[in-house]
Amino acid sequence: MSENLTKVFNWINHRLPVQNTFERHLSKHPVPKKVNFWYLFGALAAVVLVIQIVSGIWLIMLYSPGEGAFASIEYMMRDVDYGWLIRYMHTTGASMFFAVVYLHMFRGLLYGSYQKPRELVWIFGCTIYLAMMAEGFLGYVLPYGQMSYWGAQVIISLFGALPYIGESLELWIRGDYYISGITINRFFALHVVALPLVLIALVFLHLVALHEVGAGNPEGVDIEAHTDEDGVPLDSVPFFPYKVLNALVGIGVFLTVFAIIMFFFPEGGGYFIEYANYEEANPLVTPDHIAPVWYYSPYYSILRAVPDKLGGFAAMGAAVAIFFVVPWLDRSKVASIRYKGILSKIALVLFGISFLTLGYLGTVSVTEHRKTMSIICTFIYFSYFLLMPIYTSIEKTKPVPDRL
Amino acid sequence: MSIDLKPLNYSPIKYFSALFLYLFISIFITNTYAAEGGPCKDYGECEEFKHSLTDMPSLQSGASTFMTYCYGCHSLQYSRWNRVSSDLEIPEEIFFNSLVFDPSIKPGDLMVGSMSKQDSAEWFGVAPPDLTLVTRLHGSDWVYTYLKAFYEDSSKQYGVNNLVYPGVAMPNVLAALQGNQQLVCKNVPVIASNGGEKRDDLGNTITEEKCGYLSVKEGTGVLNEQEFDKLIYDLTNFLTYVGDPDKIERERLGWYVVFFFIIFTALSSLLYREYQKDYH
Repeated sequence: MSENLTKVFNWINHRLPVQNTFERHLSKHPVPKKVNFWYLFGALAAVVLVIQIVSGIWLIMLYSPGEGAFASIEYMMRDVDYGWLIRYMHTTGASMFFAVVYLHMFRGLLYGSYQKPRELVWIFGCTIYLAMMAEGFLGYVLPYGQMSYWGAQVIISLFGALPYIGESLELWIRGDYYISGITINRFFALHVVALPLVLIALVFLHLVALHEVGAGNPEGVDIEAHTDEDGVPLDSVPFFPYKVLNALVGIGVFLTVFAIIMFFFPEGGGYFIEYANYEEANPLVTPDHIAPVWYYSPYYSILRAVPDKLGGFAAMGAAVAIFFVVPWLDRSKVASIRYKGILSKIALVLFGISFLTLGYLGTVSVTEHRKTMSIICTFIYFSYFLLMPIYTSIEKTKPVPDRL
Repeated sequence: MSIDLKPLNYSPIKYFSALFLYLFISIFITNTYAAEGGPCKDYGECEEFKHSLTDMPSLQSGASTFMTYCYGCHSLQYSRWNRVSSDLEIPEEIFFNSLVFDPSIKPGDLMVGSMSKQDSAEWFGVAPPDLTLVTRLHGSDWVYTYLKAFYEDSSKQYGVNNLVYPGVAMPNVLAALQGNQQLVCKNVPVIASNGGEKRDDLGNTITEEKCGYLSVKEGTGVLNEQEFDKLIYDLTNFLTYVGDPDKIERERLGWYVVFFFIIFTALSSLLYREYQKDYH
């Protein structure tokens, strides 16, 4: 029996590089032997991607786009066995996706994961983030609640602020003179087919590029510099079983948190599912307070901090776009924050503070004081990036050890 | 997980705790500066409502109040009759004989209401909203407080207004039970800037007249205050159930799932530790 199986396997393997690919990218792939918990969020993001795709497929079976969208959500929540489980899995997954991706990105800034030779890994990652933002926005509109409607209204009207083409672009996106069943249908197509394809392709590129250059480590040591006679880095361990087991622990902790949210706090205090979205979209009634879900709120704050609509849109776009050029803004000789100077440390802490504060401010209504705060934080946010070439080149760095 | 403890001075945890500390401070500052009205508007803080979704008598009494007083105008259009009767452990026969009055209704129908939206919009100026999700939209606290906050106001179409929802287009359908509730003025102690009561030189509390207090004219209602509170409690409890009918089942399952993942984490952690010995 096993002889026959080997034969079948060999037959396939001669025609398709199964064993080679498996060993190169999974089982024998060398990973740094000493990393910390920050290096788990990439694996967690992959886990959430799978959760989103699987729960998403089931949601498509139950959801009907168009004007009846809101009722179809309530139908699956009430009349379908475990429909609530599928839906809450997807809503919790959306928030958790952004949570782990933000932490994953912060890890990149913390340990200089974007530095040579990992620029492309970083750029693919930034593109994934961009695609995720679009995917999340489209998905948020689908339940057709009040906040879906008015959130979409705010975002689509931003395109209207563009000179010359603005108004017709807005109309083209909506497919109607206002957000209607037609808009929901096209957003559905984009959310379940177009963007997931883009996301999966980008994740593939992100991983292929990563495996070409190898994963980084918190010391910023180049482990490729010391290899054994087979070319395997001395400070590395094979992906299986070591990295897999390491990730499994992280995944266990993560899924525990995920389950606690999904079963006990699916609304996340109004941050994961906004309470206003429990009312069907009503084009005639504007909610008192339109707020995006938490993962967009930093950018919403930046948008509101700029008094001009087009200027705000540009600032918001720039705030996301600037991540792409980070590999060329960082002029430091070292990668990790551990060996960078005091200026980089202060800059990163200030950046983190401003990002979180902007996030908070984006969820609440504007007052004079809050507006001032959001302007200050927007200023700090951009300074972190724009001043990076200066502070990373003038500060004194510590010597990086030779080995991990 | 191999958390690197050696270069403790540069621990990222340190940065993160600093970030969170700052965040809390900044939230505190921004909240102090912002004077925003709460969801219960003129009422002040909403009254706290603690649901008891396993208390069947309470849910059944709430359902009965809803069908008698609310369902004439408000629908529960995402909920089905037989689901309510089975969740609330009311035998279908009794349920349909005593709470559902329309013989054309089938057990599996949605509770779409008995009034056409078009007619009601014409009669009330605005169609009475569907209440399936009202507790999820406004919160149970809000619903509980709202139902108790009607007061007589002759300037309004139905002779009543509401502290929680000023200018509401709904008559107080429970007035016969509650009695005539009015806004009254009261002598209340003046509160000094230090938070204590202000007293005069002789030590007597200084009082001032403040208005806007709800008070029911005695003898005008069928129910006394406790009975009416209980009725509103049961009604809100029922609406909380309708808003999230799977809550109990969800949380019951949740314990098993969370327990499973904790065991999973513990075992994988032990296994990882064992394998880590290979290279440490």
